[in-house]
Amino acid sequence: MNRKTICNLVLLAAALALALTLPWRSAIAKNDKELTIAMFVKNLSNPNFRAARIGADKAAKELGVKLEHVSPTKPDNIEEQTRLTEDWLVKKPDGFLFVPVDFKALIPTVQKAIDAGMPVAIYSNNMPDVKGVVTYVGSDDATIEYEVSKFLFKKMGGKGKIIHIDGNPAAITAQQRKAGFERALKEFPQVELLASQPGQYRRLPAVQVFENLMQRYPQIDAVVSANDDMAVGVVEALYAAGRGGKTLVVGVDVLPDAAELIKSGRMFASADYSLHDQAYIAMHALVKHIRGEQVPKQIILPVAIATQDNVDAWRMKMEDRKTPNWERVVAAQK
Amino acid sequence: MNAAQTERGQRLVTIPAERMVFVLSRLLALIVLVAGLSVLSPVFLTWPNVITVARQAALQFVMSAGLTIVVLAGGIDLSVGAVIGFAACVAATGIAAGSLTGGVLAGLGVGLACGVCTGMLVAYARIPAFIASYGMLWIAQGLGYILMQGNVIQGFPPALRFFGIGWVWGVPTLVVLAGALLAVLHVLLHYTVLGRSIYAIGGNVAAARLSGMPVRSRQVTLYALCGLLSGLAALVVIARVNSAEAGVGEDLLLPAIAAVCLGGTSLFGGVGGIVGTAVGSFILALSVNGMNLLGIDSLWQNAVLGGIILLSVFTDQLGGARLLRGS
Repeated sequence: MNRKTICNLVLLAAALALALTLPWRSAIAKNDKELTIAMFVKNLSNPNFRAARIGADKAAKELGVKLEHVSPTKPDNIEEQTRLTEDWLVKKPDGFLFVPVDFKALIPTVQKAIDAGMPVAIYSNNMPDVKGVVTYVGSDDATIEYEVSKFLFKKMGGKGKIIHIDGNPAAITAQQRKAGFERALKEFPQVELLASQPGQYRRLPAVQVFENLMQRYPQIDAVVSANDDMAVGVVEALYAAGRGGKTLVVGVDVLPDAAELIKSGRMFASADYSLHDQAYIAMHALVKHIRGEQVPKQIILPVAIATQDNVDAWRMKMEDRKTPNWERVVAAQK
Repeated sequence: MNAAQTERGQRLVTIPAERMVFVLSRLLALIVLVAGLSVLSPVFLTWPNVITVARQAALQFVMSAGLTIVVLAGGIDLSVGAVIGFAACVAATGIAAGSLTGGVLAGLGVGLACGVCTGMLVAYARIPAFIASYGMLWIAQGLGYILMQGNVIQGFPPALRFFGIGWVWGVPTLVVLAGALLAVLHVLLHYTVLGRSIYAIGGNVAAARLSGMPVRSRQVTLYALCGLLSGLAALVVIARVNSAEAGVGEDLLLPAIAAVCLGGTSLFGGVGGIVGTAVGSFILALSVNGMNLLGIDSLWQNAVLGGIILLSVFTDQLGGARLLRGS
């Protein structure tokens, strides 16, 4: 035997030895009390998902589990999230805390994970077509814009001229939010919708679209915006044009800059779509399920509306934000 | 006179004629659009709306100006949007830390640095511009995420906001700024050695090299200039929307390319000019303004915009080609 063959044999023996210890090693991992959960977000750019990560981190600390954060580098990229999910399935953590970047496109991938025995809890965007999910935690998009629109229309005394700023027309959230808005609009026949135009969920397009609309409509009593990033842009545009203070603006998310505008009275209200709370509750549900407890199949969080009177609760740092009470949230589901 | 010189000489003679044709046909498209919209919407031709469109077009122009120069030299910079986003984040971070001047310089510096890197990759590492700038797109975007960690920086001092929402002699500052930039870049392109070499490199890079032009260092200069202008655009963007987040540049690349194409600048290089991009920016801003005023359904707007871009460039091809053949 030459040296090369010996070398190969040694390597082979080492690999075999390592392989033989594998069952024993995974047994250790199973017995180990520390669970590892892989948490997925849609992107790293939206502050909402930063809030979600912080909420999940708080739950992980309380529950004594390890949390691994997973995100596509390209925001909301379907292909990349599919790949990441498959990679993490191979790594075999104890559970997935998941949010799909697209609730349809990710169905086969998530189903595969569940069929392979992975406990999956979903937050924010429901995937009704996936079978065997531990739980879904969310507050649905239609309801949130319905509630905030209704709140606004009541404040307006049930009449006036309004504008709606859409999100990205391709996004399911934008379509659902608009549907919620239209439902509220039907209940108030004297509220007149002047225009509904797209702001792509972003501030710059929203500012420009709203500037254009201000040219056409000299009187705008209120604006309903599908998210706060755009609502803040609308407020900016109003004040830059010297038309501030005459238009009530509402949004969704209660982002920090919107909270400041609400506090100062420049913006009227915003509905909380708290991914911080959702991720926190979903994390609790997932870990409790893995530890053998019964958890509800669906947990819908109530819509909270921030106005000048109560906005202080949202103005503190995300890290200091109060977490919801698990027992109370579960009790409210009945 | 040797052959190379003759070729160059001829190019320099023919360029103005081509340019005139393109700019004129672009202006014609613009006039048709304006006429159509003023018939359809009564508020369209009012002074406040004209100002609104001018300000939006000015912002678009600032974001497309750097790209125009690179495209004229036969290159492409796909990283403009991402660099604008990253520079905006850096500038905002600096300003939030308390130094307006520091933040502004940091934003411009980051843009310049990104441009120099792309330029070096194209000129010296011989990576095709498409790939080099595509890589830079990801790097700039990634660095933006790392810097911001999902945070939003909100609220800038009035001195900066003046450039986004302020007024000078009844005209938005942004429009004045864009006008000055247009004048400077027009002079640079047509009355300086650097400007002429941009057309020469874009027209025929081999001929430019054979005639003794320092092609590589010129390319680095161009990408650096594009990066610097992206830094400037970043400052204007945050001055306008009063906030910065990591994703701010994501939607800016395609409109920037569209404004350059609408302006009649050839993506093959050597043909076109900065005035065209100004006109292209106006066409883009007008289209969106028109759709908003007419209340066209959100779902249709992207498709309509795509149609306008194609139609405009197509008529340009027809008219431009015929006129050139005739002359």
